[in-house]
Amino acid sequence: MRDLMLRAPGSRFAIHAAVTVAIWAVLTWLNGSIEPQLSYYLALAAMYATAMFGMTILVGLSGQVSLGNGALMAVGGYVFALTSMKWSTVPIIGVPWNAVWSMVFAGLGGVIAGVLIGALGARLRGPYLAGLTLGIAVGIPTIVNRFPALLGGDEGLKLIVPYPEGGYPEAISQQEAAEQVPADDAFLDEFLVEELPADSATSAPADSGDLLTPEEAVSGVESGDLLTPEEAVSGVPTDAPTDAATDTALVVDVPADGVDAAAAVGSDFVLQQWQASVAIAVACIVGFLAINLVSGRQGRVWQAVRDDPVAAAVVGIAPAGAKVSAFVVSSLFAALAGAVLAQILTFVGAGAFGLGLSLSLLVGVVLGGRMSLAGAAIGAVLLVWLPELVDTVSGDRGWPDQITNNAPNLLYGLLVVVVVLLAPGGIMGAVSGGWARVRPQRARETR
Amino acid sequence: MLTIENLSVSYGSVQALRDVSLTVPPGRVTAVIGANGAGKSTLMRTLAGLVRPRSGTVHMNGEDITGMSPEDIVRRGVALVPEGRSTIPDLTVGENLRLGGLWRTSAQRNASESRVFALFPILAERRSMRADTLSGGERQQLAIGRALMCGPQALLLDEPSLGLAPLIVTQILELVERLARESGMAVLLVEQNAATALRVAKTGIVLNLGQIVMSGRAADIASDEQLRHAYLGY
Amino acid sequence: MDTFVNFFLGGFANGAVIALMALALVLVWRSSRVVNFAQVGQAMFTSFVGLTVVDLTGSWILGLVIAIAAGAVLGLIIHFLVMRPVRRADSSGAIIATFGVLIALQALAAMIWGGDPRAYPTPVSYSGITVFGRVIAITPYDIFVIVAMVILVLILTIVLTRTKLGLSMRASAFNPEVARLSGVRVSRMLAAGWIIAGMVGAVAGVLVAPTATLSPNSFDIFLVFAFTAAVIGGLDSLVGAVTFGIGTGLLLSLVTGYSDASNAALVALILLALNLWFKPEGAFNHHKARSV
Ligand SMILES: Nc1ncnc2c1ncn2[C@@H]1O[C@H](COP(=O)(O)OP(=O)(O)O)[C@@H](O)[C@H]1O
Ligand SMILES: [Mg+2]
Repeated sequence: MRDLMLRAPGSRFAIHAAVTVAIWAVLTWLNGSIEPQLSYYLALAAMYATAMFGMTILVGLSGQVSLGNGALMAVGGYVFALTSMKWSTVPIIGVPWNAVWSMVFAGLGGVIAGVLIGALGARLRGPYLAGLTLGIAVGIPTIVNRFPALLGGDEGLKLIVPYPEGGYPEAISQQEAAEQVPADDAFLDEFLVEELPADSATSAPADSGDLLTPEEAVSGVESGDLLTPEEAVSGVPTDAPTDAATDTALVVDVPADGVDAAAAVGSDFVLQQWQASVAIAVACIVGFLAINLVSGRQGRVWQAVRDDPVAAAVVGIAPAGAKVSAFVVSSLFAALAGAVLAQILTFVGAGAFGLGLSLSLLVGVVLGGRMSLAGAAIGAVLLVWLPELVDTVSGDRGWPDQITNNAPNLLYGLLVVVVVLLAPGGIMGAVSGGWARVRPQRARETR
Repeated sequence: MLTIENLSVSYGSVQALRDVSLTVPPGRVTAVIGANGAGKSTLMRTLAGLVRPRSGTVHMNGEDITGMSPEDIVRRGVALVPEGRSTIPDLTVGENLRLGGLWRTSAQRNASESRVFALFPILAERRSMRADTLSGGERQQLAIGRALMCGPQALLLDEPSLGLAPLIVTQILELVERLARESGMAVLLVEQNAATALRVAKTGIVLNLGQIVMSGRAADIASDEQLRHAYLGY
Repeated sequence: MDTFVNFFLGGFANGAVIALMALALVLVWRSSRVVNFAQVGQAMFTSFVGLTVVDLTGSWILGLVIAIAAGAVLGLIIHFLVMRPVRRADSSGAIIATFGVLIALQALAAMIWGGDPRAYPTPVSYSGITVFGRVIAITPYDIFVIVAMVILVLILTIVLTRTKLGLSMRASAFNPEVARLSGVRVSRMLAAGWIIAGMVGAVAGVLVAPTATLSPNSFDIFLVFAFTAAVIGGLDSLVGAVTFGIGTGLLLSLVTGYSDASNAALVALILLALNLWFKPEGAFNHHKARSV
């Protein structure tokens, strides 16, 4: 009886909706009741999860190992920054601009990029696809140097997160925020986006074609940790993450540090909590879309094509179409995550979206379990939590910075290898009783 | 002498060989015949070490070679010419031959090479050309030549006639028969085409669904009409 | 015209290094059917080993020799510990594992040697030659690099075509089953492929380090260049890797010369994408890149 109910598409939809709302409620409560510092990590984890739901679909279910998703996040981030900077009304429709529109356009940008990359990538066998997307991860971010006036070049673009006045969490929508704010208060009408002055960021030690790491591209500071975007901006492991961005910001009248902002506005409003609430909302919406796609017909289509394209074609599935659709969905998610990351960092720059970010997404989804959305979520938490764990451990033992800063990546690299060798289903696969259940055993791609 | 006792092989749940016992004596050709899917190739691949048997044993000159790797089995004098394309088209004819005896001393290799060239003069002519320039018959000669370069005491041939003109098949098989007789090599010859195989073989077995349904003198098998109808379909 | 000639000459040295890195990728691909995305990580790591030796002993050549030895050892370790066991898993697993190795190697190098870019010394001068009173862009070191590449390619060619090891390796690459039936220990030939690729990559790393500075991530972009060259050459073809490695180097040198260096990655990407779109099997290949 219960089985029957679960199988009916309508009720499955309802169950997913209920679960999503429940998760959203729990996370929102959590966000409201923890330190702002932790909210920041919550925001990062939700952002990673958003992107990695797409990795589950692309890498796990459709079996296409791609490193391009960091670059696709850049597409979303830059579209978000530019649209919110340049447009005060929505073109053609003419309604006033707000953050939601920027998210929509960021997603649209992701879809277009996904179609373009998918059209080429879906035709390729594994190693060729991985190599091509590696080229995308390294090559696409350098586009910013071609249009320094528009995209800010190496220095990137600084943007102000549109948080509402009047206290968190009461004010949620932009509209409410706008109503409570005097019209002349510019930053609350629209997000301010300004280019960083050239001298505000340490310039890179060499020209950027010359093998710059993402971190160096922005900060000129020692590289190594590929996984913490805030360090990409500041070059320093940050405790109050937004401080670093503030240092270089030109926007004088708006303290970007959330705690100060709250003090300034005179409420319990905290920037990190607002950022986290945006990230959580986006992650829940994307997660809801993903779970419905994955558990429905489309999920089976992706897996069928991955396991045996010829057999899938025989039963009337177009393998190329299925592979492209996985690309499109994953790049939509990536672009949305990129837009969220832009708001978390209050910054977009090539360095924040480099190869390191793409590799993080791959690491996270592999460790968490590349066959399930829950695995992606676990991986996202791991990406945020492991460096903190290492920090704590090394603090206790007094390890030198050179060790501490690189230990997380060493762990990630080794863990990825171990997972591939011993537990291909990742943490999730190990927990739920292994690979075998998620995935039929069959030898593929014999040469 | 190659001795096979109670050999059983399965691919997953499919049992391809069931309790096969057979002795391949030196100095002559033993034929294995049977319809498509009877398990002939499986038998040959198991003897060469490419497939692990589920049970049973294989002895070569008294040594148990069951479950050994192909590399080790070939060093014990059992060489297989597998079904279909068994030359490497990207290598030259000479390289394909040399490949067969890389682990042997150069004296042994040179001796084998002269013997192969005497047997198949065309290979000597074409030795510096790429193998994919050869005709089908020449390529089969090359495949057999490569196996002979291993200096085998037992030669396993899996359907050498596949895709070749009857005249060429006859030539090759007669050569093989002479080779066995003159050098004292044991030859195990798999054929779907029973008539050809039984012409050069002294003894033979008939496989059906992985089991031996008849074994004996080639002449007897060839003349058993009932058997022909039942298992060989002609 | 003058500048064009200068850019062109400079491109040869770049191309030589890309060719070597592409050769390393091809050697591994031929033996294991794996694109070793960790290859530049190995080269980076062995270059640091080489630099340490140079710092300690002052001998450039000893640094090269030790780097090559380290390349062999590292290749062997990765083959046995990672790639050989992973072959049983799915094909995505092998690709992912190479990236895991890359990440680990870069982190380990940063732990040992720090993340700051380091200068690698050259055995000969790295400033322009004066010809008829004019300084041209090609330096003695560029010539050294080109000569080293030619020598290495000659050695490789001889090993692969004239030795038992080479024949065994080629046979194992083209048809492992026939190779095994002939008595070739194919699994050892896979290891040999990783060892030789590790050595070739180590040479490439030591040669390129002086021109690019050495840091844990500084070779990343060469992975893109080398992969592009190897794929255009057909992934299976040593001749293709060398030809298109040099070709890619020349093209990128012209791009860098006439615009700026930050365009190189984008141009390589465009080159790769065009190639995969129009001729995914590469110029010298019999292998399929497309899946559908
Ligand atoms: N690699 C394999 N995996 C699974 N089944 C196989 C395999 N090879 C052969 N078989 C099965 O084993 C049986 C015997 O095959 P084979 O030995 O090739 O027969 P023959 O050579 O007589 O035509 C057939 O049913 C075939 O389908
Ligand atoms: Mg057969």
